[in-house]
Parts: sequence; structure tokens; C-alpha cells
Amino acid sequence: MSGEGEIVVIGVGLAGLVAALRLAEGGRRVRVLAKGVGSTHLSGATVDVLGYAPFRVRSPAATLPEFAVANPHHPYALMGTAVVDDAVTWLKGRLSNPRYVGDLRRNFLLPTALGVAKPTAVAPQTMAVGDLTHGGCFVIVGLPGLKDFYPALVAGNLGSTVGIAGEAIEARAVDVDLTLDGRVDVGPLAYARRLDDPAFRAQLAARLHGRLGADDMVGLPAVLGLTDAEQAWEELEARLERPVFEIPTLPPSVPGVRLYGALSGALHRLGVSVTIGGEVLGAETHGGRVTGVHTETANGVRFHAAAGVVLATGGWAAGGLEMDSHWVVREPVLGLPVTGIPGGGRRFLPGYFDHHPLASTGVAVEGSLRPVDGDGRVVFTNVRVAGATLAGAEPWKEKSGDGLSLSTGYHAAMSMLAEED
Amino acid sequence: MESIETEVLVVGGGATGLGVARDAAMRGFATVLVERKDLAEGTTGRYHGLLHSGGRYAVKDPRAARECAAENAILRRVAADSIEDTGGLFVTTPWDDVTFGDRFLAGCADTGVGVEEIDVADALRREPAVNAGIRRAFLVADASMDAWKLVWACARSAEQHGARILTYRRVVEVLRAADTVAGVVVVDSRSDEEMTIHARMTVNATGAWAGQLAALAGCRPVEVVPGKGIMIAMNHRIVNTVVNRCTMPSDGDIIVPIRTVSVVGTTDSPVADPDQLEVTQAEVDHMLDEGEKLVPGFRHARALRVWAGARPLFGARPPGDDDTRDITRAHALIDHAERDGIGGFVTITGGKATTFRLMAEETVDLVCRALDAGGPRPCRTAVEALPDSEPGAYYSVGSRLARREAHLLDDQLVCECELVSRQTLEEAVERRPTANLDDVRRALRLGMGPCQGGFCTYRATGIFHRLERLDQVTANTALLDFLQERWKGVHPILYGDQLRQARLDDWIYQGLMDVEHLPAVAAAAIGSVA
Ligand SMILES: Cc1cc2nc3c(=O)[nH]c(=O)nc-3n(C[C@H](O)[C@H](O)[C@H](O)COP(=O)(O)OP(=O)(O)OC[C@H]3O[C@@H](n4cnc5c(N)ncnc54)[C@H](O)[C@@H]3O)c2cc1C
Repeated sequence: MSGEGEIVVIGVGLAGLVAALRLAEGGRRVRVLAKGVGSTHLSGATVDVLGYAPFRVRSPAATLPEFAVANPHHPYALMGTAVVDDAVTWLKGRLSNPRYVGDLRRNFLLPTALGVAKPTAVAPQTMAVGDLTHGGCFVIVGLPGLKDFYPALVAGNLGSTVGIAGEAIEARAVDVDLTLDGRVDVGPLAYARRLDDPAFRAQLAARLHGRLGADDMVGLPAVLGLTDAEQAWEELEARLERPVFEIPTLPPSVPGVRLYGALSGALHRLGVSVTIGGEVLGAETHGGRVTGVHTETANGVRFHAAAGVVLATGGWAAGGLEMDSHWVVREPVLGLPVTGIPGGGRRFLPGYFDHHPLASTGVAVEGSLRPVDGDGRVVFTNVRVAGATLAGAEPWKEKSGDGLSLSTGYHAAMSMLAEED
Repeated sequence: MESIETEVLVVGGGATGLGVARDAAMRGFATVLVERKDLAEGTTGRYHGLLHSGGRYAVKDPRAARECAAENAILRRVAADSIEDTGGLFVTTPWDDVTFGDRFLAGCADTGVGVEEIDVADALRREPAVNAGIRRAFLVADASMDAWKLVWACARSAEQHGARILTYRRVVEVLRAADTVAGVVVVDSRSDEEMTIHARMTVNATGAWAGQLAALAGCRPVEVVPGKGIMIAMNHRIVNTVVNRCTMPSDGDIIVPIRTVSVVGTTDSPVADPDQLEVTQAEVDHMLDEGEKLVPGFRHARALRVWAGARPLFGARPPGDDDTRDITRAHALIDHAERDGIGGFVTITGGKATTFRLMAEETVDLVCRALDAGGPRPCRTAVEALPDSEPGAYYSVGSRLARREAHLLDDQLVCECELVSRQTLEEAVERRPTANLDDVRRALRLGMGPCQGGFCTYRATGIFHRLERLDQVTANTALLDFLQERWKGVHPILYGDQLRQARLDDWIYQGLMDVEHLPAVAAAAIGSVA
């Protein structure tokens, strides 16, 4: 099998990383080409599989089958929901620092940077400890100069929230005066790098000493170390003698950078070449197959022959779907058909939270994620589409973003591997 | 019910109202101004941003041209701090009649508008992005004027002279004593409390709403046609000079550089209600097409937001004419004692932001006569500069950055796009104890840059809440309002990079923060979420 041609994965967000890694593990030669880093650096790095449908989902496993029936064009429905479970299990097996916990049987309710209890299926254990499902007492900690996290806002909203059986949640905010060398304008990554240092962690613990009640659990912005979060987290728990958890901040996301590091490191170990800054300009095709892609390099345009392509270009947010000023929509890399383009110029409605006609526009696929045209005919047999470029979902509303990218990236790889047999 | 008394009451907190309040206060009248929202939330905060040289009206509307030319020179002396001296170009594009330039030159000469025809090559050297096919070019004294700065400077000056400025007070009733207006009743839109203001003279400076207020006063109809115009802000300074087409005023024929953006506009169509200004797809397309004529490649620039304003156009609507552009841009001062036999009430409407000072001067002259002020009280607004303004000390596009760079290491940047620091934000909050997040947003231009509040919406909410200025419900509601407000300005122009940005913001606020499920929000906000 490894003697066969190379698979080109386009995009290095979660979907691209997962597809590339699973293919490489399956023995395929893989090349990853990406314009820039992707969604991982923005998202909270929790695996949200299904949070709202549209009611709050308690158990994704129980809800997914009926969700698939109600949303037949959703990627979950097209792939079959069993894939999601396999993908989650596979991913958890590849992440150890920090480890990921949880499964599809029930969602955690994890606090966001606004103090909202967000349903999520699988999360780094550094975050999962903050589960609000059964209430509790929480102290939310603010770090000086960090402008992307407001503990009082988090605590205030947590205090107006209850557990699933009405359990009380008590929350308050504390600020610790542990500056980064007196800096007043600090991003999450700067704190994370510094918290890789045990001495700095000890200072943080010391600043919190005596300020915590007996039952308080401690919520910190998600900056507990970049390279060794597991260690940083365990050490803080030990020093404070109580549960400690992280809450995602505004981007850049430290947990996302960790997730990216873990998966791209695994790719590296398998000898997969990852080129960032290699924008794919277009493809060569022959007989219903993509035979290779052109990338932009400093040295001019370069051609990469491809036995297959996984298109994981991240949808609208990452340039995987585009609309120009004449309102023409296209998928710019392979020129795939785009479905769900609303007619009559009504792309968006006046209310921000309205159901916007353009919301689930994207590339339509069949069950093995090969792109199809308006008549349901496969466009390229050796192409798979994964992640936010797919039609039929509104992941930011469903709270299914990383779950969708993970499972479609995984399924794209599996169906390609299966085909070679 | 609270009740206060004053000599002069000004209704309307736009450029005109503030100009009148300042002038009246400077001439020694006890003065109160009421505005139903925040200052400059009417047309003044939604205009095109152009301090006219008069060139635009030189052929079509000589009176307006003359007034603009004179006021332009005055404002450059007394309000320089609100002006960026961009200069202006009139260019003859391939779509325009070359001979119009001759009429233009003649019109400028007749109306005192300074103008110089320059080589096309010089014009293109000055503005390389402008269509290389232009056939003639004329240099004029157009400039870019920051309406918020102007209005707030007038407000500060008025207050220094003893005036009271009351925002979020809507006039709901005009009090009459026989055939005289005796004052008004206002409702505080935040507390719902009523207040009576007795005044010897009430000045209706409500712009496009002037007809509504005059009706409350029981006057004969004041014919103000709200003329809707849309504008689109494009990222970057595509041009650094105001660029006009040298032709009869039409749609989308001016690009104004304002701070870090370039604004194309505008349109002109009569509407029934100045509070209902919908932006249509056709209007957006039209603006982009016209922008493309002036600056090829315009459509590839990133459109940041779109908005509409309502011109207060005074005069009967020309029968069967859908274009309100034929109504004069000069202002109208109505003495209702003379016209309707109703004393204590005058209306000042029409005009331009450029001529606000002159409009105020004429209005207060009339007030002096009507109140028989006992001897002349001369107007000083043409000579006395606004606070913090020095003649010739214009602001420049780099002003904010220069100020910011001095504090790079000791202040936090809350809004990277518009360079708003935490200290600036906190000071703005302290200065106006009653300000809400939305007021501060507008005053500081917070969230108005390319990312449209993607980051600073959350930060500003957090900072406000932390200053204990917002309780939990108010903070959450303010955040949702902020998101909705931003959405209003972007959804009609979402394409290209701005669509991409909007989706990124969706991921941040909905995907990452789950803002739709904030636990405590005011009932009204829940409505907009559902
Ligand atoms: C699209 C467009 C572009 C323009 N471009 C330019 C330009 O480039 N240069 C230029 O010089 N001029 C321009 N103008 C014209 C200029 O903006 C207006 O002439 C000027 O701003 C009007 O100011 P104003 O104070 O009279 O009215 P406004 O600014 O509208 O003020 C009236 C105020 O009255 C308040 N009000 C109404 N009813 C009540 C009530 N019952 N109680 C209390 N308050 C009330 C309103 O809220 C409002 O704030 C433009 C206008 C438009 C529409």
C-alpha cells in the first residue's frame, strides 16, 4: 500500500490534522499543505459533538440518531453516527498531555469565558474538572494584564446558573497580583509559556493561598503551560489541595495550540511533511479524478502529484468557501459545486441570532464524504471533503465544531484507506 | 415630576442643536439642550464626513456653495481639532462630460469657492489609486470632519458657558400657553421619568424630525423630507484626498478618507420615517459600482460596514420626483410667530453639517430679537475656537497611533483596530457617569475597525462590568446589544474578507463562548436571541 501515490491533505485545522494522521497511521504516504494554521488556534480545543439540537443535549449518543433523522443533509447523518464514537475513541488514544476525558454518553457542562455552561462531550482533563453538571463552589481567578479573560463576568454568570437537577452554583472572582514582569498588556500565550516554569507556578499557588474556602474549586484562564500542561495542572492541584481547572480565553487559544502541537508532532514522527504557507491555487484533473495540485511557493508555482486529496479548508472562516462582491460563491481550491446558496439575495437576516439562509451553505458530499453535484453525482472519486467546508451544518450554533471536524476528518481517512483494500 | 426653567431650550443634539446651544450660552442666555438619544445619534453621526469646500454645489446650488465656502474657512480656524486637512479633488472620469469642468470653474468663481485646475498627471501622482482614465482634475479645500469630536467639543464649550446638556430625553409634549410655546415635557428613556422644562424660547433643531416636533407644537406643517443616503466604509485609506466626480451631484460620486477608512457615498431617496432606514442590496451594488468608476479595483477592497442617514431636506416635494437631490441644501429658519402666529418657537432645519455654525448664528440672532435681549449680543463663534482646538492644528490619520505609541508599555490595548486603550476606555466611562457601553463605543470608535468588535466586544464588557458600572443582567444585555449593533452595520455588505471575519466572530462568540445561552439577560435581549 505504501508504494501507492501520495495523498495530499489540504488544510491543517483539526479536520486536516486528523485525516492526515489517520491516513499516515494506515500506511499511506501523506503530504499536508496549508495556507496557514487553522481552527485549532482559535477554538477552545474541547470536542463539542452536539450541544444543542436545538434544546440542550444531555447525551450526544442518545440524541445523535434522531438528530440525523431530522437533519438528513448533516454530515453526521450522511456518515452515520457510529463514526463519531470511533473518531472520539481514536483521538483520545493520541492525546496524553493533557489527556482527554469524557465520551458520547453524556456532555459535560463547561464554563466559557462568559460564564456560560457549554455542553461538550470530550475535553482535556484540565478543563473537564470544571464540570458544572452537579453544581458546586467555584473561585475564578484573574491574572493581571491578561485582557482576554474577565473573572468577575465569569463568576457572575456562573452564579446565575444551576446544575442539571437544580444544584446551586456559587462562584466568586479573585484577582492575583502576579504580573509578568509588570507588563500590563499580556496575551494568553505569554502567560502559558511562563507557567511552564515550576517556580512561576509555585508563585501562583502562593498568591492563592489562604484565599480559598474549604469547598472551592479553582478556575483559571486556560494558560496552564504550553509544553507540559499535564504537569502544570497536577502540580497546582497538589499545591492548592483541591480541584483546579482551565477555562478557554479569547484566541489565541492555549489549549488549541497544545492540541495542534500534539497532532502535528505525531505527524512529524510518522514522517509526514507539513507545509504551512503553501497555498493551494488549483488542481489538475483527469477522468473524474484529481491528479495533483499546484501550490504557491517563494520559488513560483509547484506541482504535487496526488493519488487522492482530502479537502479540509475550514469553510468561510478560513477561506475554504468564498463569496465575492458580486455575491458569487465558490469553493476556491478544487472548484467544487457549492450547495445551499440562498436565492433572492436574502443571504443574511437583520437579527444577529436569526437563522441565516447562508449559514449551512457548503460542499455537498455522499456517505464517504466524496463531493457531489446538484444531482448527487460524485464529482471526483478520489477526493474527500472534511470539516467546516461541508454543507448542511451550523457547527457554531449546534456546538458541534470540533466534533464535526474530528469525525469527518477521521471518516475521510477511513474511507480512503478502505478503498485501497 | 421634576420641573426646570430656562431662557432658551434647544431640542436636538446634532451639530445644529449643539451649535445653537453653544452660541446661545456664549451670548449669555440660560440654555438647556435635550436629545432623545446620545449626542450625534441622528444624522450628524451618520453623515459622509465631508467638510464641504462648496465645490459640490458650485453649479447646482449657488447659495449652498457660497455658505459652505465661507464656513469651511471659519471652521478651519475654530474647529481644527475636528478636521483632517485632506484637501479635495474633483475629477472628470470617462463617464463624465468634459465640458462640465468649465461650468464648474465658473460656478466656483461666482460663489467664492477656491479652486485650481491641475494636471491629470499631478492628480494621479497625488492619488495613484484614482482611475487613470480621468481627463481633468481640480483641487479644492474639501476636508474630512469628525462629527463626534465636533459635537462633543461644542457640548463642552456650551457647558463651560453654563448650558445644561440632557441626553436620553425625548420631547413627548410641547407646552402651549395660548398662542405661545412655553416649554416641553421630556421623558427620560432610561428611567421613564418625566420632566417639564419651561422656556421663553424653544428651538426646534431636530433635523429630519423637525416636522414631527412642529406638529407637536401645533404649528402648520413644516415640510421636511427625510432624504435617505447610504455610505459604505472600506478598509484602508484607498485615497488620502476627498475625491469627487466633476459632474452634477449624483449617487456614489464621492469618496471621503476618514481616519483609517475610506467612505463611498451616497444615495438620496425620500423616506417617510427618518427612523426606518433600510439598506437594500441594490443600493449596496450601486455604491460598489460607482466606487469602481472612481477607483478601479474598489470592489476588491474590504467593505467594513454600511449605514444610512436621513438628510433634513426642507421644501415641498417636487411632484412625482423620486430624487430629493433637487431640493436646496441651504437651511431654513422658521420664525413660527411670524409664520403661524405662535410665539416662543423657532425651527432651524435643512443645511449641512458644514454650515451648522452659520445656522446657529442666524437662529440665535433671531432668538435675541424675539426675546428683546436688551441691546446687541454679538455672536462670537466665528472667532472663538472650540476647546482644545488651535487654528491650523488639524488632526492627522496618525494622531491616535502617535498618542498610543507614547504609552505602549504602560497601557493595555483593548481595541487593536481602532487603537483604543484601557485607560482611554476607563476615562470615557468616568467622564460620563451615565454613559452606557454603546455610547462609549461610539465616542471612542470602539469596534468600528476591520474585526468589527470580534475581540473588543468581550473585553469592553468585561472592563465595564469590572468597574462595577454594569450589573450582571446589564452587562450581558449590553454584550448582546453590541453584537446586534455590529451585525446591523455589516450584514448587507458581507462578502470577501468581511464575511470571513463575521464567521470568525461567530466561532468566537457562539462556538467558543456560547453567548446565546447567557443565563441572565434582560427580556428585550432574549427576544433578539430567540
Ligand atoms: C447620507 C448623508 C450624507 C451627508 N453628508 C454630508 C457631508 O458630507 N457634509 C455635510 O456637511 N453634511 C452632510 N450631510 C448633511 C448633514 O449630516 C446634516 O445636515 C446635519 O448633520 C444635520 O444636523 P442636525 O443637527 O440638524 O440634525 P441631526 O443630527 O439629525 O440632529 C437632530 C437630533 O434631534 C433629535 N430628536 C429628534 N426628535 C426629538 C425629540 N422629540 N426629542 C429630543 N430629540 C429629538 C434626534 O435624535 C437627532 O439627534 C449628509 C447627510 C446625509 C443624510
